[in-house]
Amino acid sequence: MKTNELAARLTSKFGEGILGVDEFPGLLGRVRFDAAIASKLFHTFRDDLGFAHLTMVGAIDWIDHREVFYTLWSDADRVYVMLSANLPSDAPTIASAVPVWPSANAHEREAWDLVGIRFEGHPDLRRIFMPEGYAYHPLLRSFKIHEPEDLEVKVRSE
Amino acid sequence: MSEMWVNMGPQHPMTHGLWNLRVRIEGEVIKDVEPEMGYLHRGIEKISEDRHYNEIITLMDRTCYVAGLAWEQLFIVAAEQALHITPPERAEYIRVLSAEFQRIASHIMWYAAFVQDIGLMTPFLYGMRDRDLILDLFQSYTGGRLTYEYMRVGGVRNDLPLGLTDRCRKVCDWLMDRFVEYDRLCLSSTPFHERCDGLGVLEAPEAIAYGVTGPMLRSAGSRRDLRKDRPYSVYDKLQFDVATATTADVTGRYLVRMEEMRQAVRIIRQCLDWLDDHPGPVMAAQLPRWLGAPYAPVGNEAYLLKRNYPTGVGFSMVEEPHGEAGAYIVNDGGEHPYRVKFRSPVLINIWASKRYLPGYRVADIPPIMGSVDVCVGECDR
Repeated sequence: MKTNELAARLTSKFGEGILGVDEFPGLLGRVRFDAAIASKLFHTFRDDLGFAHLTMVGAIDWIDHREVFYTLWSDADRVYVMLSANLPSDAPTIASAVPVWPSANAHEREAWDLVGIRFEGHPDLRRIFMPEGYAYHPLLRSFKIHEPEDLEVKVRSE
Repeated sequence: MSEMWVNMGPQHPMTHGLWNLRVRIEGEVIKDVEPEMGYLHRGIEKISEDRHYNEIITLMDRTCYVAGLAWEQLFIVAAEQALHITPPERAEYIRVLSAEFQRIASHIMWYAAFVQDIGLMTPFLYGMRDRDLILDLFQSYTGGRLTYEYMRVGGVRNDLPLGLTDRCRKVCDWLMDRFVEYDRLCLSSTPFHERCDGLGVLEAPEAIAYGVTGPMLRSAGSRRDLRKDRPYSVYDKLQFDVATATTADVTGRYLVRMEEMRQAVRIIRQCLDWLDDHPGPVMAAQLPRWLGAPYAPVGNEAYLLKRNYPTGVGFSMVEEPHGEAGAYIVNDGGEHPYRVKFRSPVLINIWASKRYLPGYRVADIPPIMGSVDVCVGECDR
């Protein structure tokens, strides 16, 4: 499958839900999609396009918005593809991929813990590395590592 | 019988590091498990946002402290893509040589710890003795025994010293004999089979759904190996076979790792022959000054040249000893990467214990979790 082929198939199925399919070095492409179609898109990629492996879920804080990305692997085509959605910083919420790929569970907990993305429908969205009740999401750009006075660990006492 | 939760960890001989496995048991039978991570979280992704590319290599050694060179390679492949730099071929061969020796060292470390877990003491001593030979080799060309800081964006720090290839060949010959001995110690031992056969079964479709990779996936008959499926570096020029087993249990994982060590020796021998015949530079010639080897830029220089930095993204997946490790680097043109995301295979392999532990007994946990090859450093990052 080629990048433009993938773009044509996705656009015919989802229309405006697909915001674009970019070239990406070493990957089949990067699919930018609207967070509203996330769940349907995941099912399409697993069931129709054969991307059975979910290898990575992560998030980037771009200050004015946040980006969630998923990388998938297809055994048949032997390629990776990246899905990416932009979320507003004040309500970073997207549908969970756990019903489609169970392996998303730990990845999404990590993205919630470190970048503060809410995954709707996740069975157990708790922090994974930082203690429960920790006041920050450390991979946000607003969290500075060179200001020790701000780094006092704030843990809610139960 | 009533159920209860038992904490195995964070200080428990089974864990091989700092993490906690909460187990819900009914009598002796495991009903559910809940792995808890984060005891060793050092924020490596966050620190990376504040460092030059060559300084992050130091962190990579600490990410996985038994497979430092494999993680250096992972980062370097992504960073070179993000910075649009091509290393010379000799450097690629040296990296593959290092990564495969590191694979053997990591697998021997696993072998030593795992077999001790199930009650055999001798293999631990034998394993540590043989791993030391590899560390001696690393020491003679990288200077380090555990944390190397050897690979650089654009190549490797220094060429191999004179006579090293012959020493490597001797170590390879020695190791191939030892692998026979390892197998004899374990596979001919009845207690080994009693404690390992048929435990922790995870069939391939479930393993894929749960994201399990590496020797655990290959022990279920899958031929998935990134070195074959998506060759990086010079793996497409080297001959080797993918080690697989069919039983999908603890013994299968043992067999896969043993075969992987033999295949790693095969790869190393090809690399050594190539390196003997092809002298040349080990660092790209036209490196930007701010990436100059062997040291990362210091002081104002990096800031003066800031505007000339290229932008780009780097994505790499590497077959690390524990499974598939990934790196995604976003380079927005600053002197530091904007965001670095690592995928740790161990985190996912441990997390999938929710699938492969229930149904077995409490005493089966050490061999099953031992066969996962846990390295908490890379799991928590």
